[in-house]
Formats: sequence, C-alpha cells, structure tokens
Amino acid sequence: MIELVFAQLQRRDRSGGDCVADNGICPDWIADNFDRYLDPFWQHVYLTLVSVAIGFAIAFALALLAHRRRWLAPPITQVTGILYTLPSVAVFFLLLPLTGRGNTTAIIALVAYSLLILFRNFMAGFDNVPDESKDAGRGMGLSYRQLLWQVELPLALPEIMAGLRIAVTTTVGLTALVFLAGAGGLGEALFADINFRSNVLVAGGLAVLLAVVLDLLILALQWALTPWMRARA
Amino acid sequence: MTTANSAQTEGPSASLQAASLEFRQATKRYDGADRPAVNELSLEVPAGEICVLVGPSGCGKTTAMRMVNRMIDITSGDILVGGESVRDRDEADLRRHVGYVIQQIGLFPHRTIAENIATVPKLLGWDKRRTAARVDELLDLIGLPAEMGGRYPAQLSGGQRQRVGVARALAADPPVMLMDEPFGAIDPINRERLQNEFLRLQAELRKTIVFVTHDIDEAIKMGDRIAVMQEGGHLAQYAPPAELLMHPANPFVEDFVGADRALKRLALQRVRDVDLWTAPLVHAGDPAPEARAKLAAAEVPYALLVDDGDRPLGWLSERALAGEQVSAELSSDPEPVVELDDILRDALSDLLAHEVQYGPVVDHQGRVVGVLSIELLSHAIAEEPEGG
Amino acid sequence: MSTTLAFLGDFGDAFDYIFHSRESQAGGARVGGSELLPLLWTHLKVTGAAMGIAIAIALPIGLALGHTGRGAFATISVSNVGRAVPSIALIAFFVAFFPRTPEFWNVTVALALLAIPPILTNAFVGVRQVSRDAVDAARGMGMSGTQIVRSVELPLALPLIFGGIKTSTVNVIATATIAPLVGVLTLGDPIISGTVHGRAGQIGASIVVALLAVLAELALSAVQRAVTPTGVKLEKGASARASRLGTLKRRIQTVP
Repeated sequence: MIELVFAQLQRRDRSGGDCVADNGICPDWIADNFDRYLDPFWQHVYLTLVSVAIGFAIAFALALLAHRRRWLAPPITQVTGILYTLPSVAVFFLLLPLTGRGNTTAIIALVAYSLLILFRNFMAGFDNVPDESKDAGRGMGLSYRQLLWQVELPLALPEIMAGLRIAVTTTVGLTALVFLAGAGGLGEALFADINFRSNVLVAGGLAVLLAVVLDLLILALQWALTPWMRARA
Repeated sequence: MTTANSAQTEGPSASLQAASLEFRQATKRYDGADRPAVNELSLEVPAGEICVLVGPSGCGKTTAMRMVNRMIDITSGDILVGGESVRDRDEADLRRHVGYVIQQIGLFPHRTIAENIATVPKLLGWDKRRTAARVDELLDLIGLPAEMGGRYPAQLSGGQRQRVGVARALAADPPVMLMDEPFGAIDPINRERLQNEFLRLQAELRKTIVFVTHDIDEAIKMGDRIAVMQEGGHLAQYAPPAELLMHPANPFVEDFVGADRALKRLALQRVRDVDLWTAPLVHAGDPAPEARAKLAAAEVPYALLVDDGDRPLGWLSERALAGEQVSAELSSDPEPVVELDDILRDALSDLLAHEVQYGPVVDHQGRVVGVLSIELLSHAIAEEPEGG
Repeated sequence: MSTTLAFLGDFGDAFDYIFHSRESQAGGARVGGSELLPLLWTHLKVTGAAMGIAIAIALPIGLALGHTGRGAFATISVSNVGRAVPSIALIAFFVAFFPRTPEFWNVTVALALLAIPPILTNAFVGVRQVSRDAVDAARGMGMSGTQIVRSVELPLALPLIFGGIKTSTVNVIATATIAPLVGVLTLGDPIISGTVHGRAGQIGASIVVALLAVLAELALSAVQRAVTPTGVKLEKGASARASRLGTLKRRIQTVP
C-alpha cells in the first residue's frame, strides 16, 4: 500500500505551490487542471447513458412479457434480484475472463444492476393502473394491445419514471467503480490521487453533479409527459 | 290509467337506431362451482326499452349483463342483439357497438374529458371534425359547458364524472347500452337528480338498455320491464313495474319488492293520471249565493279563492261566503300546491307533511284544474291499473 | 474453444484459491485459503460497525418522522441525494479530508452514511403505511405517543424496516469491497491487488464476496419474513388491492 501512496504523491502536479502541498482546496490548481477531468467525465456520461438505455430496453421487454404472462413476473424478479445483490466489483471480475477489460465488461455489469429496479417499477406501474379504467377500456372495445399502449403504459408512467431516476442515479454512482475493470470514468480520476482534497472534490463533485442533473432532467421529462398529474381539482 | 314511466309515454321513438335484445337460455357456469352463476336466462327486451336486472348480491345480474358484451363468456345458450348472436361477432367489434357504463365509471385519468368521450368514435375511425362535433353535442346533452372538455377527470366532481361516463357510452350512438349500478356510488340527493336526467335523456334517445341495480325502488323508477333474479342466476319474474307490484310471482319476489309494495305503486303514477275532484273556484267579489252553490256541489268542504289567472290564493272560511259577495277572508293558505306532473308518491308526502287532507292541483301555467285528496290517493293504491 | 477452456480453467483455479493457500505471485507472502479469513473478518467488522451506526441514527429519526408525518420532503431528498453520491467518492472524501483519522473509521463512517438513506426512508414509509385507523384507535384508548410507536407502529412497520436494513447491508457489503483502495484490507484486496493474488485471486475473491452478499440477502429476507406479523401476511393479498386506491402521494422508492 505504501508504494501506492508514494506513486500518488509523485503524480500530483506541483504547480499549485503551497496550497497543493498543504492538501487544501485550491481553486488555482482546479482551474489549471480542469481539462484533465473532461475525458473521464464524458466517459462517465457515455457509460451511464448507454447502460441505462440498454437496461431500460431489456426491462421494458421483460415487463411486456410479464404483462402478457403473469406467471413470469416472480421468476424474472428473482433473477434480476440476484443480479442486483451481487456486488458490482465482484461482477466485473467474474466477467473478466469472458469479456476482458474495458467498456463491455463495465456496461454488462451496470445493465445487470439496473434491471431489477427498472423491471420492478414497470410492474408496480402496471399494478397502479385503476382496475375500473381497464374494465371500462375493455368494455368499450379496446383490444389488448390498444389497452396496453393507450391506457396502461401512460398511467404507469409516473412509476416507470421514478424507477428510471433511481436507476440513473445509482448507475452514476456505480460507474465510478468501472475503472477497476479498465473502463475509465470519473472514478479513475478520483482514484488517481485519492488523498488530494481538491482532486476528490472535483472528481466526486462532478459525479454528484452529473447524477443530480440527470435526475432533474428525467423529472422534467416526467412532468412534461404527464399533464393530467399537474391538473388537480 | 296509464303508467307514468317516461320511456314509454314521452318522446319520439328512436327505436330505428335501437336494437332489440334477447337472452336465449343464456347460462354461465364457472369451473368448480356447483351452481351456475346465470341459469338459462331467457327474456326479450323490445327496442327502445329499459330492462332492469334486479336482485340480491350474488344473484347473477351483473354476470348476465356482462355476458351481453362478452366481458364474461357464455357457457351455453345465446344472446342476440338486433337478432344477431353475440357469440359470432368479434369481441372488440361487438363492444364498440355496445355502450358500457360501470359503477366506478372508469374514466381514463390521463385523458381529458373530450378525449375520454371520443374514445369509441376514434376506435371506429370517425374523422376529427365529426368526433369533435359529437363531443360538443354530448357535453350539451349531459348539461356540461363546452370548456369542460379540456379538463381532466380529477378536476370534476363525482356527479359530473358520472355524467361524462354516460356521455362516453353514448358517443358512438350504440343501439344497446349496458349500465351496471351507474348511480350506485353517488349520494342520494344527486342520485335522484341523475336518475331524472337520465330518464329525460332516454325519452329523447330511446336506447335499448340493460340496467343492473340492487335497489328495487330504482328498478321501479327506471325500468320499463323488470327482471327479478334469484340466487343461482334464476329469473324469478319478468314484468313491467306495475304488474310486479300488483302480482309478485312468488314469495321471494314478494319479499324482495317489499311489504310496502302498495305504496310503491304510487311511484308509478302522476297526479294527472288520477280523476281529480272538481275545485270550487271563487274570485274575490263574486256573488256569494253562486259560490255557496258551487261549494255544495263539490266534494271538498271549502271553497278555493283564486286570482284573475285562476291561480290559488287560499281556502276560504265559511264567513267569507256568508255575505252578499265573496270576501277574501282566508282560513288557510293553499299549501301544498300540487302540479299535474308530480308523482303521486311525492304528492302524498306533501299532503302528509302539511297535515292536510286536500291540496289544489295546478297545470304548467299555475292555473287550478282540480283538487287532490288523501281519499283519492288511497283509491289509487287499491285500484287495478288498466292493461296490467 | 480455447477461451472456454481457459475460462473454465480460470474458475477452477479460483476455487482452488479459495480453499488452499499458496505462494503469492510476487513471491514471499502466502495468499488464499486460510489467509482469506483475516480479510473476511475485516470485511465483517467494517460492515457491522457501519450498519450499527447507521441503524442507531436512521431508525429513531425515521420512526419519529413517520409517527408525526412531517419531513416527508426532507426524507425523500436525503434518499435522492444519497443515491447520487458514488460510494468511492464518499470514502475518498473522508480519507482526503480527515487524514489523521484511522482509515478504518473513515471507511466505516463513509459506509454508515451510505447505509442511512434506505433505513431512514423505509422506517419513515413503514410507519406511515401503518393503518391510520389502528393508530387512531390506539390514541383513542389512551396510549401515549411512545406507546403507540412501540406497540402499534413499530411491529407493523418491522417488515419494511427490515427491508431497508437488508438493502443497506447488501450495499455496504458490496461497497466494503473497495475499501482496500484506501488501505482497509477487506475481501476486496485480492480483487484490487491483482498482481499479488493473481487471476485466481481476483476471481476467487469475487466469488466469495458475491456469496457473502447473497447469503446476507437470504438471511435478512428470512428475518424479514419472520418479523412480519401473521395477521399482516394474511392481509397482503387484500392490501395490495387497497394500496392502489392511493395511500402515499409521493412514491418513495424502497426495496421490499
């Protein structure tokens, strides 16, 4: 472990002078070195968005399947639950022999982790659709597919969006670890100098910022897509 | 004496659009149940009439109704709409041509009122202009302002939502409508209003309706024909309300209709159906001898003072007729003033509430046309209706 | 074909690593087998300490807030923000800003902070979803606030509370895996120091950590089932229907 600490001290750019030596929060240093965070940041964004997009697509497909055949819901929940329980770091290394270091391993692990959250929220969303709306819809002559797409999915939207927000924020958090699998990201920048406060602040701060921004974006999307929730008597 | 049920007596017949409905030994049997839910139900509903299915919980009335649009599959037997079997038709297509109103209404929360109403027209492929016009027409029909169309169900009151539910079912002008306790979830005051509004609507539209309720009073009020069902899905009796009240087919029906069925019959008639007593009308300043003669000939012991328009001002005391001319000395005011269109049951209620034996009856312009008395009402209860 | 065989070989080697100690790749130290036990112990210590602190803080607050019904917004915000902070950032924060504190405690506090949101949220929601009628009746019978919490709200909220503890525990076990990055040697050490423990070590330790997490999940699920009052279990079918009529306005996400 000692070698690691020495290696970090050497890697730190000494240009900040006293502030850096004292391990403080140095605006000058941050300003000077900010661009070295850009690449990791965009890697982080890419990995998060791609993983959540794939996870969402798979969860959506599974949800449609479980909607048609109710008996599939518990087994799917079990399997995705196990994937959720496995520590991501362990998953990275279990995948290594198969997929090697790099983005693929990272994305597979991140997707697996978000599946449970997304699938479970799809199911919860479907459960929340009022029975009488479904009965009235069927009675009026909506076919299974029309009912699903015109009534059930729109009404399940709030719950689905809630799941999406959780999935996105947790994935941002997890992506901070993918550097262990060789996929870069803000975690790499963080770990590069884990004792230097300014570094931790910037790298960590950017990650939190990213999570918050994405969370708010999805919230805005939800607000835009559900006008009936805004209109209350 | 004719029955007061508006569906039969008022409005132009729209039965061209309405279709007849027939249950032909329709049966529903669930797996593992020893008794069928609906047992060989057979009845015919003529086009343009309301058939009420009534009975205690578990008697199969809702099941029977839901068999018409195949929300529940028919085990054996058949149901014919307009002569065509429902089993032969495609499910979704059948349902688009049958109006469907349920107790909890089931409006789509995520769609505006206008969009809700436009659901079936859209499914049937109506063009936008026709649909929009129809939505406006229906909003007007149910008494809601046009701008309500842009609101969401959450912004409406319960009664308003109920009306929208009915409008939604009427949107594609279906020949048959199914209504499952549509007013059940409303408070009694609004329920009565909605029932009356609906009957007015039906007088105009004359749809063929299957109406399910557990409330015998509602059945009597709403139905042209009533089908009383017993547990096990049996049809106990199928008859117009008057006959049901006069001649219950078996002890179950008798019990279900209630011990006060004689009184219930008063709900079926209006004041105009009764042969009213002649009112001894006098105006202030009339010659008293004439007034006294009129009074002697009348069944009522008091003379009724009216104004120039023959509107009732009050009952006259004996002293008022004593002199040369009739003076305006009232012994009591004319309340309760009953209208020709009032339901007998309500008129009886009014008379009793005012603790009087008689009340003047007026027409639409407020002119006195006769006198209604408790005596006349008890005759109405006891008499057989013409035609049964 | 050869990759598959190699893959199987890697796993075979990994299993060997778990059960038999061997010479480290770099030479000198012994790794694997019984050498894993101290790592396991540290892992459990850190998890236990973090969970202890988290429960001690989050449970009373969650119960209190749930009982009074106030602070829903704050609870949701805490839960949202808590999810947004990457675990490694939190650990790094403590290590960087409190260099004089022993790493073990820095890591423990960081993990405790990570563990708080699910427990807090679930305690809050758990109490809130207790039938208002039952609480009303209890109050009407003359129970004081604390008595209500103890005899009515807490027992009925236990299933959800344990759900929160379960989620947090699994999260902490997973996160403790990266503690070696700052010098606290948990089961993550073989995974991170691949040069010392070799491929077998990385995969072997991954398997052990994964097993540990799954075991914790299963054990706590069993506890969760055990603390669910029988009456509530019977109600489950009916209540699933009732909850659709809209209990909570804001859906707070919890893992059941």
